[in-house]
Amino acid sequence: MLNLKLAFRNLFRNGRRTLLTCLLIGFSLSALIIVDGIILGMSKLLVESATHLMSGEAQVHRRGYLDSFDVDLYIADPGALQATLERNPAVAGYSMRVMSGGMVSSPYNVAAAMILGLDAGQEKSVSRISESLVDGEYLSGMDTELIIGSDLADLLEVKLGDRIVLTLSQVDGGGISQELFRLSGISRFGIRELDSTTAFINLDRARGMMGMDTAVHEIAIRYAEGEDSANRNHPLLAELSNSEYEALGWKDFNASIGTMLETIDLVTIVVGMILFLLASFGVINTMFMSIYERIYEFGVIKAIGTRPTDLIKLVLCESFLIAVGSVICGTLLGGAVSYYFSVSGVILGEFEVSGIAFHNNIYSVLEPAQFIEFPIYVILLTVIASLYPAAFAAKIVPSEALQKSL
Amino acid sequence: MNHDIVIQTFGLTRTYGEAEAKVTALSGVDLAIKAGEFTAIVGPSGSGKTTLLHLIGGLDRPSAGHIELGGTNIAEMSGTQLSDLRRDQIGFIFQAYNLIPVLSARENVEYVMLLQGMDPAERKRRTDLMLQLVGLEGLGERRPAHLSGGQQQRVAVARAMASSPAIIFADEPTANLDSKTGVALLDLMKRLNEDEGVTFVFSTHDEKIMDIARRLVYLHDGVIERDERR
Repeated sequence: MLNLKLAFRNLFRNGRRTLLTCLLIGFSLSALIIVDGIILGMSKLLVESATHLMSGEAQVHRRGYLDSFDVDLYIADPGALQATLERNPAVAGYSMRVMSGGMVSSPYNVAAAMILGLDAGQEKSVSRISESLVDGEYLSGMDTELIIGSDLADLLEVKLGDRIVLTLSQVDGGGISQELFRLSGISRFGIRELDSTTAFINLDRARGMMGMDTAVHEIAIRYAEGEDSANRNHPLLAELSNSEYEALGWKDFNASIGTMLETIDLVTIVVGMILFLLASFGVINTMFMSIYERIYEFGVIKAIGTRPTDLIKLVLCESFLIAVGSVICGTLLGGAVSYYFSVSGVILGEFEVSGIAFHNNIYSVLEPAQFIEFPIYVILLTVIASLYPAAFAAKIVPSEALQKSL
Repeated sequence: MNHDIVIQTFGLTRTYGEAEAKVTALSGVDLAIKAGEFTAIVGPSGSGKTTLLHLIGGLDRPSAGHIELGGTNIAEMSGTQLSDLRRDQIGFIFQAYNLIPVLSARENVEYVMLLQGMDPAERKRRTDLMLQLVGLEGLGERRPAHLSGGQQQRVAVARAMASSPAIIFADEPTANLDSKTGVALLDLMKRLNEDEGVTFVFSTHDEKIMDIARRLVYLHDGVIERDERR
């Protein structure tokens, strides 16, 4: 109690220095809270962009399909899988897809493309294909409907209503299938690969062209709870997998994004460590200055019987109080800025990273850890950083300290 | 060891530096301070007065020789043991900036008793008594910055006495005081010595202290040149 009283009063002896130290540590904490909020927001956006745009949060394929994209590796009877998905409350939606590489021809040009047959209704619950249209209409089930990416439309020099021929291979060694479509929509995802090489048609028409009856190549799934998407071992995945089919979470079928997120987490840790290392040096410097300034006084205090351990406690108490002040400043400032960014977002414009399109602002994510764990780390780190100056104070030899100029 | 002797040194030597830079501040000093003495260690600057005071006060360690306080060689004590010894058996008054600036006069006097873990009621009683003895009743709540130099030294005297030490060391206690205040402080210490039996050892140049001291230990180049009792 005596140490706490002394420490508290000592902080006000050089109020400006105490304030500056508190601001230094506080700004570091607030920077970490802000950066972490933005990074969490970016990660969330990244995951949403990666999963909600097209792929879904989980997918079911015939085993081996993802390695070769061989059209013959299809799910022949998706009925049982569909029943599982229908009754599982963790599933918000799913969509069955047929996929094949093929040729897209207009009267003016020809291009290779990935042709996807979609169930227009199911797809809305999984992907944002319907929202990506920049011209025309989304699929409604009509046979001749075709949506292509904006870059592909430019290449083919076509506009809505123009005739386009799709050519693709039938499954199981069948022949070539070629059919005429009318361009009904133009999509734009902001990802060059999707915008220049993708064509969407109705699922039944695709099945018919490829001779697949009720079969599909892929079932894309959206979870009811966003957090489930991060779970690589979600029970649903096990339930859907067997010797013939494999169900994977997005981190497995889109490993590059998972790795990117892990890298982002690492960057957050490194940024945090650098910030706090700098703040620690600030604390050490402040405490040493404070001790050097009071070295005669420490000499007197020791001379009249204060134990070295009591001096350590005194210095640690001072740093603890500085840390508490800093945490209050940093949490309030960081929380306010982070909250502002969580509401208004950080303006990014439109860009693509590793095949992921960012169209939206990044909205900071506020997590309890930022306001509980981070401040605890700051307090611990500040007190730990003060151990060195505290040990120095404890070793002060009274007779030497008393020789110092007053 | 004579029971009247509070502290005694045997061949006390203190050197600083090494080889050619070696300086001998104190050389083979034998000194015994008896209870109730009012002793002044005098000598020119650099004669070793402060060094001697710091050694016998447990603020420094000798290069050779030993110091007995209550039959224990304090030169062999650990840092914590020395702290406890200074807290319980020794009082200090320095020439200036004796007090902890962020504590009031009362809290400064209480400080050592707090370190001793004294009961709050007893601590308050002794603090009141000490402040009264040094004539600072009513000024207990003032911080050092709001006390005159003489009043600050009085608080230092009160603090030094508060833990009922066996001996009080005063290093140039009047050096930063004007003549009148210095005399008043000396009168106070003399009275405490005579009335309360407090043992004082001064290190000083001040002739006023030399005039009233009952024993004068003359130091020159780290050696006791003369030891006079009056």
